[in-house]
Amino acid sequence: MSRRSGGSTPRISDDQIIELVSKLQQLLPELRNRRPNKASASKVLQETCNYVRSLHKEVDDLSDRLSRLLSTIDDDSPQASIIRSLINNN
Amino acid sequence: MHNSSQLKNEFIKKWIQGLQIYCSSKKQMNLLERTKKIKLSADIALASAKHSATCWSKAIISEAKKDERNTILINNLSDPKMNFKCAHQNLACLKRIRSRKILKKSCDVGIKMKKMKPRRQVSNLATCIAKRLVKKRTQVLKRLVPGGESMDEYSIIKEALDYILSLRVQVDVMKNLVNATTNFE
Repeated sequence: MSRRSGGSTPRISDDQIIELVSKLQQLLPELRNRRPNKASASKVLQETCNYVRSLHKEVDDLSDRLSRLLSTIDDDSPQASIIRSLINNN
Repeated sequence: MHNSSQLKNEFIKKWIQGLQIYCSSKKQMNLLERTKKIKLSADIALASAKHSATCWSKAIISEAKKDERNTILINNLSDPKMNFKCAHQNLACLKRIRSRKILKKSCDVGIKMKKMKPRRQVSNLATCIAKRLVKKRTQVLKRLVPGGESMDEYSIIKEALDYILSLRVQVDVMKNLVNATTNFE
């Protein structure tokens, strides 16, 4: 574990990092049900990067779909008012 | 610490606000512009729903602030005090990282000189490779998480955890809206 050059940051223990990595592993769809339950740190980090990328892509796709849907809806159409009421009810 | 239904509600509220701001401007937008606006308002809504609790959320907002066109959106959705904290925190982080790097380099030189015993060499090699891989992956992760470049290893993992949970909330809400709208056609 690398040493810290003084200052206000508390020392982070190896255990804390291990705990974080295992929490991360629980989130990842690829590694969640893995046996044995501990994947290597580099594997967890790799899957984390992949997962974040896929989530980013989903957001982009959904934004695109929403944009297309909204463009086909007229301002005064019944569908527009349905969306508006859906939104307001949330 | 991460309350996802609370985040969901905050996000929905702010995102709708953001979308309304865009809808109220009668300007006609082409598909690409509208897509960008939808995504931007979703990202800013998600970030401001965190109420300055995380680095990544502050990074998204300060990045968005750089573009003047986003001013109205940001002023309506987020806390104006946020900007100062983000810049200040990043500077402290950078200083910490720089001093750690210098320290590490001087330690590594010392360690290399000590690596003489053959018995230890194998385990050192494996550890070395493992450490390199972890470092490589951490670098990639730093680029993916907003504001990640100025974080140390512990923080980036912590931020990534929260970021993933929040992204999921964002995807859930957007998916629900798309499905609800599609089913009416």
